Amino acid sequence: MSGYGVDPCVKCEEMMQPFLDRELTMGEMQEAEAHLDTCSHCRRRYRFEVSLRRYIRTATTEQMPLELKQKLAALRIELH
Amino acid sequence: MSEPTSADTRRLAEEARNRVRFEEEALDLSDQVYRVARHLANSREDADELMQETYVRAFRSWQQYTPGTNLRAWLLRILTNLNIDRGRRQQRSPQTTSLDEKSDYYLYDKLEEQEGRPMDEERVIERLSQDSVVDALAHVPHDFRDVLVLVDIGDFSYADTAQILDIPVGTVMSRLHRARRILKGELAEEVAK
Repeated sequence: MSGYGVDPCVKCEEMMQPFLDRELTMGEMQEAEAHLDTCSHCRRRYRFEVSLRRYIRTATTEQMPLELKQKLAALRIELH
Repeated sequence: MSEPTSADTRRLAEEARNRVRFEEEALDLSDQVYRVARHLANSREDADELMQETYVRAFRSWQQYTPGTNLRAWLLRILTNLNIDRGRRQQRSPQTTSLDEKSDYYLYDKLEEQEGRPMDEERVIERLSQDSVVDALAHVPHDFRDVLVLVDIGDFSYADTAQILDIPVGTVMSRLHRARRILKGELAEEVAK
C-alpha cells in the first residue's frame, strides 16, 4: 500500500528526505514523482529542499590548509 | 644469520610497493576527508589534529585495509573513532528538543511566512549567510551531526554511514531526520534575527 491515498502531501513529506537521498525503491520513487508532478504545494517545498541542500554543501566547503597537507605527507616519511 | 632469499626480497619489494600505493591513495583523498572532518570536529584546530592522528594511524595499520574497498570510508571510520575517543562529544546522549514536533518544512514555512507569499526557493540563498550555515551546523548535537555531515557533506549512503559509525541503518535514518530538523530550526532562528 503506497499511503498516498489518505493524505498524499503528508506521505510526500515523509518520503521527501529519503527521496532526496536517493534511498527509495524504484516504486516508491515513481510514486513520489507522480505526486510531485501534480502538487505545486509539495513541488515548491521539494525545490526548496534541493536548493537548501546544495547551499549547505557549498557553504560548508572549506579547503584543507596547505600546511596541513604538507604535514600529512611528512607523516608518511617519518613512519618509514 | 642466513642471507635473505630472493623470494624474501621479492616479497619485501612487493610489500613496499603496496604500502607506497596505499599512502598515495590515502593522501589523494585527504581533501575529501578534510571536508567532512572539518565539521565533525568542533573547530579548525581540532580538525587539524584529528586529520594528523587519523593519518598516523592509517599509515601504521595500512595492512588492515582491504584493497578495492572504499578507502575514504575506511579513513573516516578511523577518524570518527578517534573523535569519540578524544572525548569531543560533550553531548553523548541525544537530547529531546521541541523541534521533533515541527514539520520537515519548518524552515520553508518560516521563510514563506516572513515573505508573506509563496516563495522562490532560490531566495533561501539570499537569506542565509555562509557563516550562519556553518554556525547552525556546529550547534547540532554530535550524535546527529556526525550522520548529517557524513551523508550531506561526505555524500555517503545510509549503509556506508552505518558502517563508518558502527550503528544500524535505521539509527542513521532516524538521526539524520532529526539532525536536519534541528539544523533547519537553527537556520530559522538565524533568519528570524
